[in-house]
Amino acid sequence: MIPDRVFEVLHGPAYMQIGTRDAALRPSHTLAVGAVVHDDRETVTVFVPTARARRILADLESNGRVALGIALVSHEAYQLKGSYLSTRPTDASDLARQETYRKALLDDALRVGYPDEIARPLTQGFAYTPGTAITFRAEQVFLQTPGPGAGTPLA
Amino acid sequence: MGLLPDEIKAAMQGVIPSHVVTCAADGTPNASAISQVYYVDGDHVALSHQFFNKTKRNLAENPHAMVWLIHPETFDTWDLELVLDHSETSGPVFDAMDMQIEAIASMVGMKGIFKLKAADIFRVISVVKTSGERIRR
Repeated sequence: MIPDRVFEVLHGPAYMQIGTRDAALRPSHTLAVGAVVHDDRETVTVFVPTARARRILADLESNGRVALGIALVSHEAYQLKGSYLSTRPTDASDLARQETYRKALLDDALRVGYPDEIARPLTQGFAYTPGTAITFRAEQVFLQTPGPGAGTPLA
Repeated sequence: MGLLPDEIKAAMQGVIPSHVVTCAADGTPNASAISQVYYVDGDHVALSHQFFNKTKRNLAENPHAMVWLIHPETFDTWDLELVLDHSETSGPVFDAMDMQIEAIASMVGMKGIFKLKAADIFRVISVVKTSGERIRR
């Protein structure tokens, strides 16, 4: 069960990174732009740029292990760990959700004082379409805000 | 001439946080932000060890790591495949990282929370300037 605060943070504006690994336990990474928590509060769909998804998708198809790091500009951060369920190309409703998410990221970065010349390329410059939707079941949730409490299980 | 291009050095100044993925011996990956990746030489970087966190525990079990870096001016990005070589708790790399961590901590309001315990030195296995990641205008 994803806690309320993590549910809120997942819906943004947050910076998200997916981690996977191959058969030799060599890690891979890609950024994610936008996420949806499903009604069961355990299943999560995240959107990644297809151009960056080849290696993580191969990892997910072979072993299914996934980590999703989620961080706010305030440094508040969480991590989900779970098991891969499915993938599909993003559709128009996903794209609309991503565009709302990106706009919120930019507004948030400007609100906290990032200059436009950093905030805009950082939040608007990364490719997000064509996109791939990755759905996984979150089995563990951790606090990841820097400090001695980082790593505390929340669910 | 090492694997790391000169242009990547600006991405290691801590202006934009980097991201690191490691993996436990049981096969569970871990994705985390990291405040600093430090350029040691053309084939080595150092990551700051500030807390005895999951990244550190994973590296004790499995030395492989993947780091994603963002250049603070061009916003170009790189994937670095790394293998942990050793950790240092004193010496020039540690001292330089310690000073930079202090500066980053002051800049982002984390003074007293970011504190360097060790400089973990990694050998660079591959460097890939990621393509298709930026929207070109």
